[in-house]
Amino acid sequence: MSPTLSAALEGAGKIAFVWGVVLAAMLPNLIWMERRVAGLIQDRPGPNRVGPFGLLQAFADVLKMFMKEDVVPLYADRVLHTLAPFILLVPSLTTFAVIPFGSKVPLFGREIPLVIADVNIGILYVFALASVGVYGLVLAGWASNNKFALMGGIRSSAQVISYELSMGLAAIATLMAAGSLRLVRVVEYQAGGTFLGFLPRWNCLTQPLGCVIFIVAAFAETNRVPFDLPEAEAELVAGYHTEYSGFRFGAFFMAEYLNLVASSMMMATLYFGGWSLPFLPSSGLLGGLLSIAVFFAKTMFFVFLFMWVRWTLPRFRFDQLMDLGWKALLPLSLLNLLWTGALILLKVI
Amino acid sequence: MPALSGDLVVFTIASLLAIGFALAMVVQKAPVRSVLSLVVTFFGLAIFSIQLAAPFVAVLQVFVYAGAILVLFLFVIMLLNLGQEAAEEDRRPLQKWLGLVAALALGGVLSGAALRAPTPKGMRPPAVVPLADEIPTIGRLLFSDYLLAFEALSFLLLVAAVGALLLSKRRFE
Repeated sequence: MSPTLSAALEGAGKIAFVWGVVLAAMLPNLIWMERRVAGLIQDRPGPNRVGPFGLLQAFADVLKMFMKEDVVPLYADRVLHTLAPFILLVPSLTTFAVIPFGSKVPLFGREIPLVIADVNIGILYVFALASVGVYGLVLAGWASNNKFALMGGIRSSAQVISYELSMGLAAIATLMAAGSLRLVRVVEYQAGGTFLGFLPRWNCLTQPLGCVIFIVAAFAETNRVPFDLPEAEAELVAGYHTEYSGFRFGAFFMAEYLNLVASSMMMATLYFGGWSLPFLPSSGLLGGLLSIAVFFAKTMFFVFLFMWVRWTLPRFRFDQLMDLGWKALLPLSLLNLLWTGALILLKVI
Repeated sequence: MPALSGDLVVFTIASLLAIGFALAMVVQKAPVRSVLSLVVTFFGLAIFSIQLAAPFVAVLQVFVYAGAILVLFLFVIMLLNLGQEAAEEDRRPLQKWLGLVAALALGGVLSGAALRAPTPKGMRPPAVVPLADEIPTIGRLLFSDYLLAFEALSFLLLVAAVGALLLSKRRFE
């Protein structure tokens, strides 16, 4: 087999694996999980009738979505109205390309690194895609020709731009520590050393402030409660997707959950050691498979965190959101840069 | 006629996209659609950077221009609700033709310069993006050879930001 062909096969295999896990295994269960977690927190059972433990509820939900009529408002911009959900969906599907989901597995006599594309701009790629995804929300709001949808779109563009800054500045500190933009290197750095002699050198321990800023900003970037102002249903009906129904509403829903998974993966990768866990082997076939399990377990924890927060906290007001982003998170993320720089200069990390 | 390679196909598609949507941006009446056309043009330019083995530049192009600056454009257009204005009758027919002449002249000068430039020999950009970190190199250059220009530029941006703040503040008082 020629090297080009085997490389292509390897890439296709990894894409199939990641999309398989995320789209087929995680996505349907996330819908179910969200509703069950909501039930748990609100002291009620949640959906438990369709299939064992209500596990098939997601399929019922999706089927319902497909059967509904797809309505385009009369005075909407038809082209952009159709395009908007997909502009949102494509970046969230492609983010997974640069996130390392495991260490390495020896297969067919070769060491296969468990990341689809180990590019030297890794984290910038993730941020660039996240910032392109906002066009989907903005256009959905604009193309619907509905004032509530428009307000939702305007809010989302202001919100994403504000929080992207602190998120990026917080993430820069992790790159400073690792000395590279490659996410593979960021994880290897965290796996390959100790902090203060006995703790794992995870960025959440060395830069706790940056970790909190990143998580808060990630909530805002994914439009989740307490920052779900673009779709605040108490004020804006349903925000940018007010005029969407049927399958295209489903596409928005899907993109939201994909972004949630991608953000959880980024939290695990940048701050919680990615696929690594102390005292767990990460080489060889078994180690490689274990590292995949560790990575997805960490991802699922952060997915749960998203849901936990959603059903616990109330929504911010818009001026509070802007104050928090510009007056609190941005200066704090600069402080975090200073802190990390000092740690590096003092050779503590 | 160069041989038909994957690079050439990608280059052709990217340049057609970039030029086509740049035209669409100018011709388009609705401001929102103009902004969106510009986004596609920026994506085309980013593809060129990737082909020239500079993925960092490509991703900055998408991140900064397409992802931040044009979102702000869109934000302002939507906030002012410029949709209706576009439907109005074109009241400046002369300017349109003058603009076309100016654009053609500029295009002629640029393409003339490009055609006269000596063709580089044996300097084909590598087809595969190298995995070496280019960012440390850029950073080192910015803080050594280009330090003065870099600092002057950041000062200029700061002045612009403070100026914008001052202007918007005056309106409120």
